[in-house]
Amino acid sequence: MRRPRLSLREQPLPGGQPLAFGTGLLIALIVGTVLLLAAGHEPLKIYSRMFEASLGDPDAWAVTINRAVPLGLAGLAVAVAGSMGLWNIGAEGQIMAGAIAAAWVARIGGDWPGIVLITMMLIAALGGGGILALGPALARAKLGVNEIITTLMLNEVAIRLVQWLIHGPWKDPDSYNFPLAPMLPDQARLPTLFSRAHFGLLIAAAVIVIASVAVRYTAWGYELRIAGSSEATARYSGISLSKKVLTVLVLSGAIAGLAGGVELTGTADRLTETISNGFGFAGIIVAALALMRPSGVAVVALLFGAVQIGGQSIQTLGVSSSVSTILQAFVLFGAIGAGVFSRYRVVLDTDARSTNRELSDD
Amino acid sequence: MNQAPSSTNDSTLAVELSDVWKSFPGVTANAGVNLSVRTGTIHALLGENGAGKSTLMNILAGVYRPDRGELKIHGQSHHFRNPADALSAGIGMVHQEFRLIPSFSVAENVVLGSAATVLRTRQVELQVSELAERFGLKVDPSQPLWQLSMGERQKVEILKILWRNAQVLILDEPTTVLTPSEVGELGDILTKMANDGRSIIFISHKLHEVSGICDEATVLRQGKTVASALPIESTGQRELAQLMVGTSASSTDRPSPSTPGAPLLELDGLSALGDRGLEAFSNLTFQVNSGEIVGIAGVAGNGQRELADVIAGLRPSTTGSLLMDGADITTASPQFRFKSGLAYIPEDRLGVGLAPRLSITDNAILRVYRQQRRGPFILAEKALSYCKDIVHRFGVRSADLEGPIAALSGGNLQRLLVGRELDGEPSVVVASQPTRGLDVQGVKAIQELLIQQRDSGVAVIMISEDLDELLTITDRLLVMESGVIRGEFDPRTASRDEVGMAMLSDGQAITDT
Repeated sequence: MRRPRLSLREQPLPGGQPLAFGTGLLIALIVGTVLLLAAGHEPLKIYSRMFEASLGDPDAWAVTINRAVPLGLAGLAVAVAGSMGLWNIGAEGQIMAGAIAAAWVARIGGDWPGIVLITMMLIAALGGGGILALGPALARAKLGVNEIITTLMLNEVAIRLVQWLIHGPWKDPDSYNFPLAPMLPDQARLPTLFSRAHFGLLIAAAVIVIASVAVRYTAWGYELRIAGSSEATARYSGISLSKKVLTVLVLSGAIAGLAGGVELTGTADRLTETISNGFGFAGIIVAALALMRPSGVAVVALLFGAVQIGGQSIQTLGVSSSVSTILQAFVLFGAIGAGVFSRYRVVLDTDARSTNRELSDD
Repeated sequence: MNQAPSSTNDSTLAVELSDVWKSFPGVTANAGVNLSVRTGTIHALLGENGAGKSTLMNILAGVYRPDRGELKIHGQSHHFRNPADALSAGIGMVHQEFRLIPSFSVAENVVLGSAATVLRTRQVELQVSELAERFGLKVDPSQPLWQLSMGERQKVEILKILWRNAQVLILDEPTTVLTPSEVGELGDILTKMANDGRSIIFISHKLHEVSGICDEATVLRQGKTVASALPIESTGQRELAQLMVGTSASSTDRPSPSTPGAPLLELDGLSALGDRGLEAFSNLTFQVNSGEIVGIAGVAGNGQRELADVIAGLRPSTTGSLLMDGADITTASPQFRFKSGLAYIPEDRLGVGLAPRLSITDNAILRVYRQQRRGPFILAEKALSYCKDIVHRFGVRSADLEGPIAALSGGNLQRLLVGRELDGEPSVVVASQPTRGLDVQGVKAIQELLIQQRDSGVAVIMISEDLDELLTITDRLLVMESGVIRGEFDPRTASRDEVGMAMLSDGQAITDT
């Protein structure tokens, strides 16, 4: 009897990750078909709607791209920390902190020219995210406190802060007592590139390219990768670990903060408590699928954005929103599951006597 | 259900492995090995590093599957698919690295991984203390594991497999983590278990321990059985040693004598703490001169690793001072020490000396990347040509320099690491276990590099557990035990016994010079 078993490849399969993502998509489609049929829908119609809404025409592309921008930046934030073996689970909160800081600049600079205002807002967003990450970064660098827990808990702090602001000091006096922040000034909106796709695409692309190059080709990134591979090796070669941890976590927070700033000036018209919209958590998935490589984040974010937009679009056809969430989950499961095969190969055992296995108890 | 034993005298054999083959990419670890262990005996499995002992035992314990060969337990054929299969056939293994959870109690660690669905701690504690009592394994079942010494943790590992009712216990180099007195204690425990009808396979390459503890021995060399079921009592240690190393190994030519010059490294009253906050070594005073190799002999865990770390600047010293070429470097950073001419070949190649997930090139430039920059960027061509140079000069065999370092074999990893460290033209080299786990060619290559360094006037410290190696290539031999230098020997005249005695002396009845 030949039994299949997994055996570690000497080297990961080249191109294994795109293949894995494709397999994940396929598995999601198959599972989705079963689910949709069971719920009395026509899978083909639903799928073509998903495709049209996300990638069917330039307008659809624009919506997908606008979704991919915050996903990509949040994913990059997680991946930069991940290159050093650190887990920034706080991108969600850092996005809010970035949005708060950007909204604050918009409040004080309401009569500045657009380019100045937007630039200042985005710089403030970087700062806001960075400041929220500073506490966990210091605690990890100086005291060795686990950054996963501290960054995660600060998410809660950030969301309460937004809630307090829009219910309290920043509540719009003209909102008829609804808890809403005031609208941003008109010149605080990012220009659009085509259809509704805004300028954030270029910002995100630039930041991803810079970060990828920095991690891959600079001495700074080299030290980062050494430390991420083995702390002992970093210490051995005289790399200061605590300084590295501090800068990387703060940088990671700043990138997530930028996502909040771009989201505020790009798609939202005011600060809301749903501004981060789960992008920070989805960013963890994006980074994981990109194997923590900053260079892989862009493609994954785009595909993931398409899946999200497509999933949302089918709600108008009467498909429950849970179905789209389930589909997203299966893309992830499938991709991670299939990713195993880029690192392992299936071997058939030529073990003829494997059935003849008896135990000799007593 | 049970098959009849294929022949009658099999019933006295607890384990019978015949014609076992196992290859890994690039190496044949076992090439037709035979092993027979009689029930109720302590059986030594001897052989040098790389002789195939661990592979064979991992096959017996269900971790690896043999490519070919037969495996019988108490006369019955088995094919293990995983360690659980082996365990249910009564075979348990204590690996060199313990698999225990520090925050769990002893009893919880014992149950861990078993099929027990409900954890009845009290009951397990009772069972564990009963077993412990019976075999003299003195541990408190309710104590958290992190409070235990390495010797006590080993007892927990043994209890773990006894609790699962193992009849055959495999101990993979169990004494490397033990103090000499603990070794004696382990011997008593094993004897009690053998008298209870259990069979023990004791992997070692330390003959003096084997002769004190074991009944019979099987010797492996280069993946083959060279002697099986030798009665220990009637076999001399010399004969065993010859079987292990082959005939000519003990008469290796010594390198030409050295011509020591001025002291390059001076330790004066140096002390440091170990990972557990206990004193690892204390008040060490010695010097290493230009053009000599000073060997540090000793059983692992007697402060050698910490000493190497302190010299390299990876661990702070608590007292004393360290001078290199006359300059005080007691508190200097590792990077400063390297720049001043200190090369360090750490015991953990992959994990300390080399970063596992990075490419060969990335690892090659670890010491020089700061000089290979333009602005913030590392110059890729410069890095690659530097790497090519190291690979070429030190004979690293590798297909893809941009490929992951983990694809290199142990010998090539060490050539790369040693090459990188020696490339900086150091004045002092600290080499910790530089030849451990390498094949014969690799060992020779590394030893020759160290001798070359010595001949060009470098001061070399070589820390090794391989006494024969130290006796062959060093110019002066210090023996470290319990963090103290127990003796200094001239390797040209010292006998193995004398040095061995100092290694195990516990500080008694040994006087210097």
